[in-house]
Amino acid sequence: MKVSLRWLREFVDVPMEDSVEIGDLLAGLGHEVEGIEVLEVPFTGVEVARVESIRPHPDADKIRLVTVDRGDSSQEVVCGAWNFDVGDLVPLATVGAVLPGDFEIGAREIRGIVSEGMICSERELGFGDEHDGILVLEGDYELGRDFVDYLELPDVIFDLSITPNRPDAMSMLGIARDVAAKLDLELRQPVIEVDAVDPPTALQVEIADPKGCPRFVGREVRSVTSGPSPMWVQARLRAAGVRPISNLVDATNYVMMELGHPTHVFDLDQVAGERLRIHRAGAGDTLITLDGVERALDPGDIVISDANGIVSLAGVMGGGPTEVSEGTTRVLVEAAHWHPPAILYSSKRHNLRSEASARFERGVDPNLSDRAAARVTQLLVDHAGGEAASRVVDVYPDPVDAWTVELPIAEIRRVLGIEISPDVATGLLERLGLDVSGSDPLVVVVPPARPDLTRPIDLVEEIARLHGYDHIPETLPHGTGGGLTPSQHRARRLRAALMGAGLTEANTLGFIGAADLDALGLPEDDPRRATVRVKNPLSEAEETLRSTLVPGLMKAASRNVSYGQTDVALFEIGRVFLHVPSPIDERIPHQPHHLAAILSGTVGGELGRPGRPADVYDLTAVAEMLARSLGWDDVSFRQAAVGGLHPGRSAQVLKGDTVIGYVGELHPASARAFDFTDRVAVLEVEVAPLLAEPAWWGFGSPSVYPPQKFDLAFEMESTVPAANLVAAVRSSLGSELESVRLFDEFDLGGGRKSLAVTVAVRAADNTLTDDEAQSFRQAIIDHVQSKLPVKLRGGE
Amino acid sequence: MDDLDAILGSALERIDAAGTLEALDRIEGELVGRSSVIAEQRRGLGKLDPAERPVAGARLNEAAQRLQGLLDGRRRVLEVEAEDRLLAEDRVDVTVQRRILRTGTSHLITQTIDEISDIFTAIGYQIADGPEAETAWHNFDALNTPWWHPSRLESDTMYLDYGDPKDEILLRTQTSTVQARTMESQPPPVHIIAPGRCYRTDTFDATHSPVFHQFEGLAVAEGITFADLKGTLSYFAREYFGPDRTIKVIPHFFPFTEPSAEMHVSCFACDGSGCRVCSQTGWLELLGCGMVDPNVFEAVGYDPSAVTGFAFGGGIERVAMVRHGIEDIRHLFDNDLRVNEQFV
Repeated sequence: MKVSLRWLREFVDVPMEDSVEIGDLLAGLGHEVEGIEVLEVPFTGVEVARVESIRPHPDADKIRLVTVDRGDSSQEVVCGAWNFDVGDLVPLATVGAVLPGDFEIGAREIRGIVSEGMICSERELGFGDEHDGILVLEGDYELGRDFVDYLELPDVIFDLSITPNRPDAMSMLGIARDVAAKLDLELRQPVIEVDAVDPPTALQVEIADPKGCPRFVGREVRSVTSGPSPMWVQARLRAAGVRPISNLVDATNYVMMELGHPTHVFDLDQVAGERLRIHRAGAGDTLITLDGVERALDPGDIVISDANGIVSLAGVMGGGPTEVSEGTTRVLVEAAHWHPPAILYSSKRHNLRSEASARFERGVDPNLSDRAAARVTQLLVDHAGGEAASRVVDVYPDPVDAWTVELPIAEIRRVLGIEISPDVATGLLERLGLDVSGSDPLVVVVPPARPDLTRPIDLVEEIARLHGYDHIPETLPHGTGGGLTPSQHRARRLRAALMGAGLTEANTLGFIGAADLDALGLPEDDPRRATVRVKNPLSEAEETLRSTLVPGLMKAASRNVSYGQTDVALFEIGRVFLHVPSPIDERIPHQPHHLAAILSGTVGGELGRPGRPADVYDLTAVAEMLARSLGWDDVSFRQAAVGGLHPGRSAQVLKGDTVIGYVGELHPASARAFDFTDRVAVLEVEVAPLLAEPAWWGFGSPSVYPPQKFDLAFEMESTVPAANLVAAVRSSLGSELESVRLFDEFDLGGGRKSLAVTVAVRAADNTLTDDEAQSFRQAIIDHVQSKLPVKLRGGE
Repeated sequence: MDDLDAILGSALERIDAAGTLEALDRIEGELVGRSSVIAEQRRGLGKLDPAERPVAGARLNEAAQRLQGLLDGRRRVLEVEAEDRLLAEDRVDVTVQRRILRTGTSHLITQTIDEISDIFTAIGYQIADGPEAETAWHNFDALNTPWWHPSRLESDTMYLDYGDPKDEILLRTQTSTVQARTMESQPPPVHIIAPGRCYRTDTFDATHSPVFHQFEGLAVAEGITFADLKGTLSYFAREYFGPDRTIKVIPHFFPFTEPSAEMHVSCFACDGSGCRVCSQTGWLELLGCGMVDPNVFEAVGYDPSAVTGFAFGGGIERVAMVRHGIEDIRHLFDNDLRVNEQFV
């Protein structure tokens, strides 16, 4: 909301001059200052003059010679505009005047005639740009008076953001009340007086929806003449960000800005039957609003009907036919209180948010409606020559009374941490217009203008606000014992390990679409297809929550390739959303944290020697390293087809016997769908099993005796997983087996292969003899050959 | 015995003249080898008079030791010279990396979350987490947001097609949900920071992202006051933006706090004198905060007459962007390696 300092000063004597200081004052009251605009006087030397006579220019058709009366003298100027007559009041830029753009007016000869100044248009004076012609002034002006005196300049405009709890602050008077309360100054109320004249109005109003419309005040004003508002009204409206339209419409906007209560004027001659009914719209109802749009109404919309049908979308926008126009002579001033949520939803629904709806949806003071109607009526009498009809229609079946809130003094200290005496608190609250009695508790009577003050805590807030948040000290309490949980610590170790492995963390938005799952090549029954859908998605491509982190990472990787970075190593840790109930709350979907990594492009390499393409082993190595760095030695890989992955290069990741994810290379078709032609290695696992705390490990003293090492090569079908061989070797001995490592793999042809392991055995309490080593070797061979369809090569 | 004196007299010169290990080997053979004069004389000792033998033997040993010492010394010199020659040939240019050991970076959002978490765990807070897909009750009702509040509209909040329609499952729009989740699961006192993802129906632009991160702070106990809130935020500002920072809090409105405030921190770039970073105001608007509204306590089953509390919530991206001079939030979600690798 734009607040004019000049307008504000009509109600309170703001003592500061510095606009930044005033801005700080307003911000300190809770009215955030989004901008400060200083309006300077755009010209000098312009005064009010009356056109005395007009004669043609002897040598030109399109320009005329105009004699103007400056009050104590007359003079002739040359003028090219034709939109005025003898008797009109006009702004005259005298010789020596300076107009906007540093345009200095001198005596100037035009086609042989000397013009001692010029009469001006709005645009030439630097405000508004409505007319091409001369600005013709209507109303009371003093001849020869400096025209600036009528323009409410200079001024400072504060653009305030009013919080939704403060409907009372949506006006000049409301802000003035806050300022007066803060600075302990007198608040001057506008004087509202209307001389009503018989006959009384014939208007009848029926409220069929008292919830939607608790109060409706209507006043008839007759004999109005539509025309421009006085310059000062127009200037104030412009300062407040409202475009002046006509004296009839301007009166309502002026009162809205002044008092905070929106009103509406109808052309009463266009209201059929002189009878209005307020009700909710019916199914199929439509209304052509005054912006010319035909609107399908919703049963939630509150509307006003006359004898012929709906004439207005209440609180939001009037209908075309009853709109006031140049020919209007009789108006109905409406000042009603509308149910705030109804207005909020209507204005949102019809995309018609306005200064009026912004006030109604916050909740306008219902006890202000009669004053607002009277104020508009007064302005119509003063500025449009109207005559107020003597009966005021005021339908207010259930008047809202002031309420009482009791505030125990101790509550102030309990919440704010500072001592405020009952006297001081009483003073602060009274300055806001609240009626306070008692000393502890304070008994506070709150008027309906402050719907936000219903509880003791609300009064504590007002006391804090006026006392000043900056006068509350800073103290630092300590929590009851902080720190990260073990799994939070381990999550950090997990990230550190990933970074150490050369992967960079990504953060993707988390929405995917069916197209992403198709691109990934997931079969119809893949559990990742069971996504949670967003009802109002950002776009069709982002219509579901991610069930896997891979599409997001693939797109991020693909973008990097398009930026020219072809070696991509990314990881992300985040929630996925599964269409099953959450273990913490069955109402919401399960949303476990996943870890995913992708790797593409080349790995390793050095100067003069290119690296090799990334493949699945880069990520199985990462997975194993992660597990080890978190203290787990039971993570393994089980060769398996995984949807979307290369059938021969994919595996389930197991922790113990539980599948916690998968690793592999993308199926080439899936990779191509994300614009990759090279191998792309992917890993996706659940995070929680990794972050669980392993059992405490027990210390084992290292043997001081030397190991015996030997190699064993076995021949087998190519399909036998190497992991099975390693596992079989490992399980063949007890603590004497120190290590086993695969060191050679050889294709024998014919669907057979050779795998060789190197084994170290060591005893805790003696140096192994060759015989002992040989018996361990034989035990391993026997065990492995009994467990697996393999045969020792070169063996017996 | 004159032979021996002559040999010793010329030995040093001969040994020093050996320019290679091979030459030295040859000289060593001549001086102390099997057919050397010394070896011959040793063999002849047996023929001497037993009375002379000890003296002659001692003299021979002394001479042999001396010669061996000279030879060994020369050998060490020659060995070092030989290795030096090898090393000279083994030179490489180590000023350039031949092999790159790739290191990853964590995301700025993660780093910021960790940093803020550490700032608050140091004063006794714990880190709390909560679901991102939430009930409307946790996101709105428990937080004193009326049924008609515009933030509930689909133009602001993303709703999910999941579960019982009356639960109105949605993507949380604020981490304040964790306030309700935490308080309904434990009695006071509570001191938590809840960092996490939030979602709003926003169009991506320089300052808005439909997905963003917040950190929520909540302290509930007997005797917590607005002064404690100010002190805590002031501590945070100094820890995160530097020891000279000051804060101001100005009144604001949130449904779930009363009184409510907006916290501003003095600009770290200009120390409050006004610059481009702070739009010439000297202050940076940082987060919303306030005293927990009694209605929130009632919603989660706390007694508002027994405890008080404060809450605050800020944008992770906001504080990180301010501190690092990032002007477009989209950089944080594009995952361009040229950007993410700056997050060292």
